[in-house]
Amino acid sequence: MAELQIKATVNGRKISRSAQPSQRLLDFIRDDLNLTGNKEGCGAGECGTCSVFVDGVLMKSCLLPVAKAQGTQIDTIESLAKTGELSVLQKAFHKAGASQCGYCIPGMVMAATAALRSNPFADREEIKERLGGNICRCTGYQKIFDAVELARDVQNGRLPATMLDGIDAEQGDYIGKNVSRIDAPSKVSGKLKYAGDMLMPDMLHVHVLRSPHAHARILSIDTSAAQAMEGVEGVITSADVPGEDGFGVFVHDQPVMARDKVRYVGEAVAAVAAEDPLIARRAAAAIKVVYEPLPAVFSAEDALRPGAPVVHAYAPDNITKHIPIRVGDVEAGLAESDLVIEENYETQAIEHAYLEPEAGLAYVDHDGVVVVISPSQNITHHRHMLAKIIAKPIAKVRFIMSPVGGGFGGKEDMIYQGMLALLAMKTGRPVRLVFTREESIASTAKRHPSKTTLRMGLMRDGRIRAVAFRMIADGGAYGLSTEGVMRKAAILGAGPYVIPNLQMDTIGVYTNNTPSGAFRSFGALQTQFATESHLDIACERLGLDPFEIRRINMMRDGATTHTKQKLKSVSIGRVLDAAEKASGWEKGVSGQRNGRGDLNGEGLRPAVALGARFVGDTKQEAAE
Amino acid sequence: MARMRGRGMAACWYGIARTATVDRAAAWAEIDDGGSAKIVTGVTEIGEGILTVLAQIAAHEMGLKPEDVVIGDNDTARAPEAAHAGATRQTYMIGNVVALASREARGKLVEVLAKMWEVEPSTIRTGNGFVWAENTNHKITMGKAVECCKQRGVVPVGSATFGTDTTGLDGTDGAGRPWQAYVFGCQVAEVEVDTVTGEVQVLGMWAAHDVGRAVNPKGVEGQIEGGIVQAIGQALMEDYELSNGHTTTPGFAKYILPTSLDVPMMNSIIVEDPDPIGPLGVKGIGEPAMVPTIPAIMNAIYDAVGVRITSLPATPEKVLMAIREKQQRENQMAVQAAE
Amino acid sequence: MLICDEYLTPVSLDEAFAAMHQHRGRSRIVAGCTDTLPWAREGRAGDVEIPVLIDVSKIPELNDIKVDERRVRMGAATPIQRFLDNAALARAMPEMPRCAVWFADDQIRAQATIGGNIVNASPAADVTPCLVAHEANVELAAMRDGRIVRRSVALRDFILGPGKTVLADDELVVAVECDALPGYGGSFEKVGHRRSLVISIVCLATLVKLDAQGRNFDEVRLAIAGIRPVPRRLHEIEDFLRGGPLSSARLEEAADMQLDLVQSRTRQEYRRDVVRGFLVRGLINAAKRAGADPDALTPEMEAAYG
Repeated sequence: MAELQIKATVNGRKISRSAQPSQRLLDFIRDDLNLTGNKEGCGAGECGTCSVFVDGVLMKSCLLPVAKAQGTQIDTIESLAKTGELSVLQKAFHKAGASQCGYCIPGMVMAATAALRSNPFADREEIKERLGGNICRCTGYQKIFDAVELARDVQNGRLPATMLDGIDAEQGDYIGKNVSRIDAPSKVSGKLKYAGDMLMPDMLHVHVLRSPHAHARILSIDTSAAQAMEGVEGVITSADVPGEDGFGVFVHDQPVMARDKVRYVGEAVAAVAAEDPLIARRAAAAIKVVYEPLPAVFSAEDALRPGAPVVHAYAPDNITKHIPIRVGDVEAGLAESDLVIEENYETQAIEHAYLEPEAGLAYVDHDGVVVVISPSQNITHHRHMLAKIIAKPIAKVRFIMSPVGGGFGGKEDMIYQGMLALLAMKTGRPVRLVFTREESIASTAKRHPSKTTLRMGLMRDGRIRAVAFRMIADGGAYGLSTEGVMRKAAILGAGPYVIPNLQMDTIGVYTNNTPSGAFRSFGALQTQFATESHLDIACERLGLDPFEIRRINMMRDGATTHTKQKLKSVSIGRVLDAAEKASGWEKGVSGQRNGRGDLNGEGLRPAVALGARFVGDTKQEAAE
Repeated sequence: MARMRGRGMAACWYGIARTATVDRAAAWAEIDDGGSAKIVTGVTEIGEGILTVLAQIAAHEMGLKPEDVVIGDNDTARAPEAAHAGATRQTYMIGNVVALASREARGKLVEVLAKMWEVEPSTIRTGNGFVWAENTNHKITMGKAVECCKQRGVVPVGSATFGTDTTGLDGTDGAGRPWQAYVFGCQVAEVEVDTVTGEVQVLGMWAAHDVGRAVNPKGVEGQIEGGIVQAIGQALMEDYELSNGHTTTPGFAKYILPTSLDVPMMNSIIVEDPDPIGPLGVKGIGEPAMVPTIPAIMNAIYDAVGVRITSLPATPEKVLMAIREKQQRENQMAVQAAE
Repeated sequence: MLICDEYLTPVSLDEAFAAMHQHRGRSRIVAGCTDTLPWAREGRAGDVEIPVLIDVSKIPELNDIKVDERRVRMGAATPIQRFLDNAALARAMPEMPRCAVWFADDQIRAQATIGGNIVNASPAADVTPCLVAHEANVELAAMRDGRIVRRSVALRDFILGPGKTVLADDELVVAVECDALPGYGGSFEKVGHRRSLVISIVCLATLVKLDAQGRNFDEVRLAIAGIRPVPRRLHEIEDFLRGGPLSSARLEEAADMQLDLVQSRTRQEYRRDVVRGFLVRGLINAAKRAGADPDALTPEMEAAYG
């Protein structure tokens, strides 16, 4: 190994350090210089959390071998507020509410800094283009654009610097006020430490061996070669679990690591703790697992067929959960309808894609308490489950929720914390695991893909008479949140409408696909997509405006819901009015309307025309 | 026309906090030395802005500035249970319980000062770091007020618990009370469809959501905007694909997410229908924000080019092929009509 | 991850060839690294161990740019971003800024090189069809018997198929040389699943030169990619249009020529449809930028394809 001696200027200070030739600039900055403000979101140049300046040019440090930094000037997010005073852009991000989880924000602030350095008069469209290499999953970007425009105008003297100040509420009435986010300074400066940024003395690094099979029996696991490797401090498999080996938000059907068989590609099978990440990686590769592949099932429909491979013995029909809701007599309702519309709807699996991949640390403290630090969305429940898994009283288990770099439901599942706890217990040392993006995508829960058949019976005046709704959802290999997702999908699926006859069935099914779990909007997104599309079709057939059909059918104050709950106040009418008015909606029959009067109005952005800033373009010249 | 515009709308409803089960949360509050405050509850920020919301609520209730509120500690061994960060429950469950705990702490402080000033506790006001008694000259800083309490042997603390009156669902007909607070929303989408490539650009969204009482309107907008863009991802481009259980979208090069160039102008309209049950009237916005977006976009595509996409995502290929099928159908009908 | 024992950064061709010779069979040439590092990850090549990486991006000759009225010569390590910030290049290759702006993002463009894009030989490479339209030659060099030996290969012959080129294992791409086409109108049409950081499903480079009245095609160059193993010049369409009038009917006829261009395994029908539309759209856009008579095309046509 030919070590490199890197001489560079980092954030204004000269450094000379040895580095491994395989290191990327990102590793060098984060691991060797402990400048953890810039993050690793994808490792493949696709997200921009690692953007730094190299000789004044913004680059993605995950794509730069460290040797490329030789003799250069590197500026990381930490360079922007070195004195403790935030830069104008950072203040503008704070003021505009441009940070949410904050994980993309250091890179985003760097990209925005580069944009305004390149063109201090960049307009909103150019700003968007220049930020095109940085993904944000929380904000929807709008407040980020606002922030960059605010900073631009303050820098150019078009707006006073006081525009960046916070607010003081008169009389101390702070409810309903746009108080600037109290966590934003730590995020825009890169100071906030997420789990993957945290270090502990004597810490080991964890790597997980994952299943290459969708469904297979584990005949044997031989960890001896891995155990024998220098630098390996602990290897665990399901044999190391002392207690009840199961977790899940509703049913505890998932073992910490695969037990007896694997049920999806990417399922954890074993884990290694070693002195450095590369040793852990190599040791995991040295674990020999003998599998006997089993027939697998890859769609919910197939899983429901008689004779389909059974994913979990406790559910021989592969049904994780079926939620029925019944009101009135649906067949009679359809029969007496003037019009019955039937349509099928399909939604796909979606990845949460929080910019912070899963990460966590664990250690056993001086009192023998097993401590897990991770961006868990549910430390209360995780504590209960882990106590059973490691067979300790609840008081001997402690969960600390580290800042969450985006969750959206995806961090409700305890898919790796169990391994961390077991390795900390086995090695007696602190351990840390940081997922790669690929690992996060392949092994963590998705939004349930769904197939829906919807039959709706309506009267000529637009009143809904009956709805028959059946959704089948692919829950994947483990239960996770499937039960809850089916419940919410069912309760809300028919929409906030009065429906005298309703038959609603949502069915979550086990397959050998990546598990589906909690995801923002939790089943209600899938079912209401069907219902709200269906109402548009109904409008077209009945000659109604889409706002009108909803007003005809909407629940009103005192209404009874599909689960027979009496509501007090129902605001659907108010939100319909508000959206109709704000958008300047032109009334008309749903469907293709030529020459609509309400198009191209206020509140739109122009359609993207990439490259409005070419050399030679009039716009560019005007700006210069 | 190569670039066709259209509009569509959709509505939604949503339940606040955990579904068809009893939800609960707890918090501790203390008005601390120097007129600062401590709030301890077992949950932290996942990006939605809950820390700021809690600081605002605590400041409002105790008469401080939000920046004087310290919030901790997301730790099962150090803080009372607040359960999970999800289910659009943070502002509702934790916000309400922090208000209750703050009120209790404030009550302890007010009690001491009322005795000291010989006034009715109900005449004592707090705000922005000051405590005063109406129609008197008594006005001191909160720091001084805490000192007075401590000199009299009182630490102004409070604790509270907040739970929901909800039930499970009947196994046969689903009857039950899954939530005690509901929210409603409506969104309008304007899209442009390129009939040469089938690409859909969302140009504008108007989103009206009932969130109950809005604690931080800009934070609410942030949730709506973020929700809309996630939904645009699902509507138009994102697709986690598997082949025999192996993903074919293993990284962000293949798993396509919306970038800054894919987002519309988003116009949020906050509608406030206060919750009558909780102490603050707040409800929530995290999840409902993205429910109406997808059908609104699909309905807008239909309005623009007359094709209905019922299977997500509406990729350029899917949209263009649907347009061609429609044209073929229309041509056939025209031929038949001519015959 | 990409694991190496040595990372060398030669600063001359001689040094580079010496390193290539010394580590033959256990080394790999890299430049921008924007494709190499993502390639060595799970889901693609996984962990890759290459004993020696030789980074040629610091060799001065590979960073030279020369532009005159007739020819363009770009060192192989020229970053894509130069097409956006070098006015002389933009003038000589009028479609190229419109291609470059679609290429990844601002940051990757500052790092990714033209040589790397060519050597990768991805069917979806954005820069390649433009270079094919400019009749590019690839200049290769090798050290043989102590001397640097150079040869020039037409780009269309250089790329054999996805990931395959005629590059010998002792050879380096040192430069790309091509026609300068100042005064042409250029367009680059591309569709993917979004607008930034995206891989082409179809992309088309168009260059048009019109007569002084802006009513006739003096010269047309078209090259398409994303739909077949290697980019393809559309000589048949160029020949058909060259010397003829710029008119709606001609463009429709050109787009309807049956060339069976789509050889991709997926999305064939879609790609065929887009290719047809892009031909008309690309020609309209390029002709406009070449100074087309505003009345040459019918408003209906512009509306239908613009």
